[in-house]
Amino acid sequence: MLEIVILIPLLSGGAAFLLPARPGRANLIAAGLLHLTACIAAVSGFLPAMLPQYFAVTPMGGLVLIITSFLYLMTSIYTVSYMNEIEMHNEPAFNGSMLLFLAAMSMAAIADHIIVLWIAIEATTLTSAPLILLHKSKGALEATWKYVLICSVGIALALLSAFSLILAMSRGGVEVPLTYNCLNGAAASLDPLWLKVSFIFAIVGYGTKMGLAPMHTWLPDAHSEAVSPASALLSGALLNCAFLGVYKTHVLLTSAGIGRFSDHILIVFGLFSILVAGVFILHQNDYKRLLAYSSIENMGIIAFGSGLGGLGAIGAVIHMIHHSLIKSSLFLTSGNILLGYGSKEIKQVKGMIRLLPGTAVAFFSGFTGISGLPPFGLVISELFIILGALRSHHPVAIIIFISGLLLVFSGACRHIIPMTFGSGTSSRDDLLVPDKLPRLLPSYILLAVSVFLTFWMPETIWEMIRQAAALMGGAHA
Amino acid sequence: MIPFADLLLAFVFLSVMVSLASNRLMELVKIMAFQGVVVSILPMALEHGHGIEAASLEFLTVMLLIKGAAMPAALYIAVKKVANRREVEPYIGYNASIFSGLIIIMAASFISHRLSPYMPAANALLLPAGLTTIGAGFFLMMARHKAITQVIGYLMLENGIYLMGAILPHKTHSQYILEFGILLDLLAGVMIMGIILYHINKTFDDVDTGILGSLKD
Repeated sequence: MLEIVILIPLLSGGAAFLLPARPGRANLIAAGLLHLTACIAAVSGFLPAMLPQYFAVTPMGGLVLIITSFLYLMTSIYTVSYMNEIEMHNEPAFNGSMLLFLAAMSMAAIADHIIVLWIAIEATTLTSAPLILLHKSKGALEATWKYVLICSVGIALALLSAFSLILAMSRGGVEVPLTYNCLNGAAASLDPLWLKVSFIFAIVGYGTKMGLAPMHTWLPDAHSEAVSPASALLSGALLNCAFLGVYKTHVLLTSAGIGRFSDHILIVFGLFSILVAGVFILHQNDYKRLLAYSSIENMGIIAFGSGLGGLGAIGAVIHMIHHSLIKSSLFLTSGNILLGYGSKEIKQVKGMIRLLPGTAVAFFSGFTGISGLPPFGLVISELFIILGALRSHHPVAIIIFISGLLLVFSGACRHIIPMTFGSGTSSRDDLLVPDKLPRLLPSYILLAVSVFLTFWMPETIWEMIRQAAALMGGAHA
Repeated sequence: MIPFADLLLAFVFLSVMVSLASNRLMELVKIMAFQGVVVSILPMALEHGHGIEAASLEFLTVMLLIKGAAMPAALYIAVKKVANRREVEPYIGYNASIFSGLIIIMAASFISHRLSPYMPAANALLLPAGLTTIGAGFFLMMARHKAITQVIGYLMLENGIYLMGAILPHKTHSQYILEFGILLDLLAGVMIMGIILYHINKTFDDVDTGILGSLKD
């Protein structure tokens, strides 16, 4: 049964609240391993859904599910070592929330029913709030408050998107179950006006959660104030789940033949997000916030590519995969930097390559990857997106897109090169916590997977990417 | 005689206006409880003549308990525990708020008038009431200092969205399980907001959102 990918983390999450620290950590990793196995089985088609009216594995959902599960496993290994170094206030609550968060994200990934997707995405907000609140510092409180309130309001608007879809059905005289699968089949008879309204509410609602500018204001706060392993999941996995909400509505419009409407909206939101992120990265003085703004930029790129269709859509899906891998690796290494230097300020971190060589290599490699340089996968996806824009004749968009990327790259260079190679006065003795293998290995594995997928994409994954992109008008070259 | 549903919808408008004018947090909580009850029994009033299925009756009872009792109770506890000063402390004064409320109602009526040809036939007041409640919810969230009024604004927004949902054509009763899911999310959301409020109050000694402004670029 497919629902097992929700049940495993749900049950072990419930148990985690009761377990003491040591078995709790084992539980964290064991659940991750079990979950990944179940997810691979689910995507390979071995687990038919018990409730097919609510759940199904779609190409895009399957990709998001696998990414989420893999990131969670890596994060859980990191977390166990991370816990040894910091004074965790309430460890069972943290472990439990992590697992419940995984359950909510898995539910979003396999949800096929419109309302079930909504419930799952709201549940991700609620289960991840404790992960940000954990420190109970003033900053963390403020970040959690903004996160819960802004995202809840956003998702409340997404419910109006679901209502508009129901209206589109009733006005079009369509009587099918309320699942994206069935609606795609009947898309041509749906009322186009309400379909468009539905997309607007979806991009404002789920777009808030996805971090598209100008609804992104909560994101830098939440992602920088959360504990580093939680930041990795928020940025690498959760944003994809929110994108699913936008993607599925976009696919409906494309099947209904009014995809041009959502294309244009996605392109505008995408480019705007890239520019906003670029401007804020330039004068950033907190490296975790810098990474958070980079997530906004990358979500913008994904939205832009989805709006282009054709090669751009394939690029967007590939971009989503590699962004998740690289960004979560970066957030995990940023946790090491925070442990070592005891500060999130860029100014305080100098000459990592001498003091924390393992972390420095991972961090700088991640930076090259996220900037779209080889050998990491974003170089391919960004190339696809630019080619897609060229083919669909969007000259102005290409100029804005490339300038945005350059702006982000130059802004990030300005901060990250001194952090890594700058000559500081501090010596090894000033370091609070040195590098440790279990806190480095996950970052390296994530980066290695990105490199691996760049040069050798397994046929099944490529097929899923192709199908996911084809649904939003993505064609083969 | 005025139909019962119209009476309830008039109460919704009234509760919105009173909430904009009220200057005490406790008063706001009571208004929200009242609005919750009205919104929960509205579907029954709309359905007169059709008869109500057992499943839908069960659902409406649970909803009444959550919207009319559980959520206001959570708010009540929050106000008791958290708020040192019991005034609402508006950014925008009460008279201006009432005036804004009237503008929201006018805008809602205008939009409803333009939209109604594209909507299924329903009670004429339903759409304006839904839009007004959504608008006023947003207004309360922005125009008041206290974090707790933001929660109240959020609840009002949700009530408005629920009213919009009542316009939709009838669903089969198997869908109620999903509405339970939505309600559960809402309830958990309000609880979590309450917990964060409690910690904010403990850390800052106040729940004014003005103090929550240190994270920015």
